[in-house]
Amino acid sequence: MSWWDDALHRATAEVILAGCLAGLVGVHVVLRRLSFLTMALTHATFPGVVAASIIGVNILLGGIVAGGVVALGVAALSRRRGQDASAATGVLLSAGFALGAALVATQSGFSRDLSSFLVGSILTVGPQDLLTTAVVLVVVAAVLLVSARPLQLIGFDRAGAEAAGVPVGRWDIVLLLTLEVVVVTMVPAVGTILAVSLIVAPAAAARLWSGRVVPMTVLSVVFAVGSGLAGLWISSRWNVAAGASISLVATAILAVSWPATRIRPRPARPATT
Amino acid sequence: MIEPFTLPFMARALAEIVLLALICGPVSVFVFARRLSFTSDALTHTVFPGVVIGFMAGQLFAGALVAAIVTAVALTLLTAGGRVSDDAATAVLLTAMFSIGVVLVSRRSSYTSDLTSFLFGRLLTVTPRQIAETAVLAVVVLIALAIGARALLFRTFDPAGAQAAGYRVFWLDLWLNLIVALVVVAAVRAVGTILVVALLIIPAAAARMVSDRLAVMVVTGTVLVVAAGYTGLLASWTASLHYGVALTSASAVVLVLVAVYLVLIPVRILRTGPARRT
Repeated sequence: MSWWDDALHRATAEVILAGCLAGLVGVHVVLRRLSFLTMALTHATFPGVVAASIIGVNILLGGIVAGGVVALGVAALSRRRGQDASAATGVLLSAGFALGAALVATQSGFSRDLSSFLVGSILTVGPQDLLTTAVVLVVVAAVLLVSARPLQLIGFDRAGAEAAGVPVGRWDIVLLLTLEVVVVTMVPAVGTILAVSLIVAPAAAARLWSGRVVPMTVLSVVFAVGSGLAGLWISSRWNVAAGASISLVATAILAVSWPATRIRPRPARPATT
Repeated sequence: MIEPFTLPFMARALAEIVLLALICGPVSVFVFARRLSFTSDALTHTVFPGVVIGFMAGQLFAGALVAAIVTAVALTLLTAGGRVSDDAATAVLLTAMFSIGVVLVSRRSSYTSDLTSFLFGRLLTVTPRQIAETAVLAVVVLIALAIGARALLFRTFDPAGAQAAGYRVFWLDLWLNLIVALVVVAAVRAVGTILVVALLIIPAAAARMVSDRLAVMVVTGTVLVVAAGYTGLLASWTASLHYGVALTSASAVVLVLVAVYLVLIPVRILRTGPARRT
């Protein structure tokens, strides 16, 4: 019996991999204020995954297609005058979720599937899922490394980047698609709620500790992996849902960082808030 | 066309939707203008732990109400603080509160069915008592909105001007968040979270395609919700009865609303003309 045969060991490995993924992409989500879009993407993968499992094609493919539709749909809808990105995101979010729910309802075994989608079933990840997550992690890390400079430039000074001749629209799509792939990879294993909180909370906490991108990324990954491991331990110890306890630990890190960074002197920051 | 609604449970479901339409039309216009889509999505999720605790204590309604008010205050404080960007703060509060609910529910045996009924509500098993509760809250929401409408409008379109004119922007934001929270409490148990989010966001977004005037948007939004409620219920009834497809009524109503939104996009383009830029 190898080390991988134990469900808890596999879950530990998955949590570490997912934490790295979430921490890396979370920095961009926080800097670019894409939390709501992330939320919408997690909901939008739902009908894609359900439809894929009904038709019988790869679940990951279904999620990617549905997520792509939403990412491009938000981009297209928010260009209309009088419609802003927030409303368009909201419409697509509820549409995606309702569609997914309607599709699930036509199948039997309704509520079981649904709750595993919401909170994930991290204890049932197989070697196949682990391999997928690892491959995605390598690809995402490579993409973010290559595009680090332009993304950073756009994140902090959009107009300046445009004036300097950076193709802003194209890099936006690169970032959206990266985010989407991360979400699609994470949701089946860890659930929608956990995916959002693992992406946003550690990065937001890291942002409080550092204003520079590299330390922030490192901290964000450390926080994400740490809260994953701690949450898993709490879950196995007290027999509560794993996804929920992981996201509560991530929130606790943010809640502790808030007053902690306030005490620390911050000479670099002007006193105007 | 009317025949299904002669059955008591269908009539009650329609009555509930009509009541919600009356409040969601006006409130969704504010949600749209203030870009509070994410906040309303968050409020629907954060009511969940309140519902769970309330259910255990036997005071479901009170639990939801307390959770909603706590979240509305917390959201207003966090977004006014400015240390964490407001969308990140909203996302974290949402997931944290929802996780508390999930932790509480996961200790119970009827875990999955509880979650499902919270998400989708039980539109077809709405009781007269729930309709009465919704009606009371609807009156409260409409009165609160009527009192604050002028100040809220001022704050929406000119925050700096409102502050200069002596309005307390923080309290106005709290006022609006509380109104949205009350709508969520009124609706969530009967119709479930997805339908509430849709009712708070889509009516105004769709009405905006037809008109720029707020009063027209309010009326259009309300009419849209009533129409979508009727069509959705009818579609779900027909599909389940005559075609053997289990179409949940809440999803059907949402999908009709989204369809209306999509159909209205060309209207918007025709009305303004594609050549006109921002």
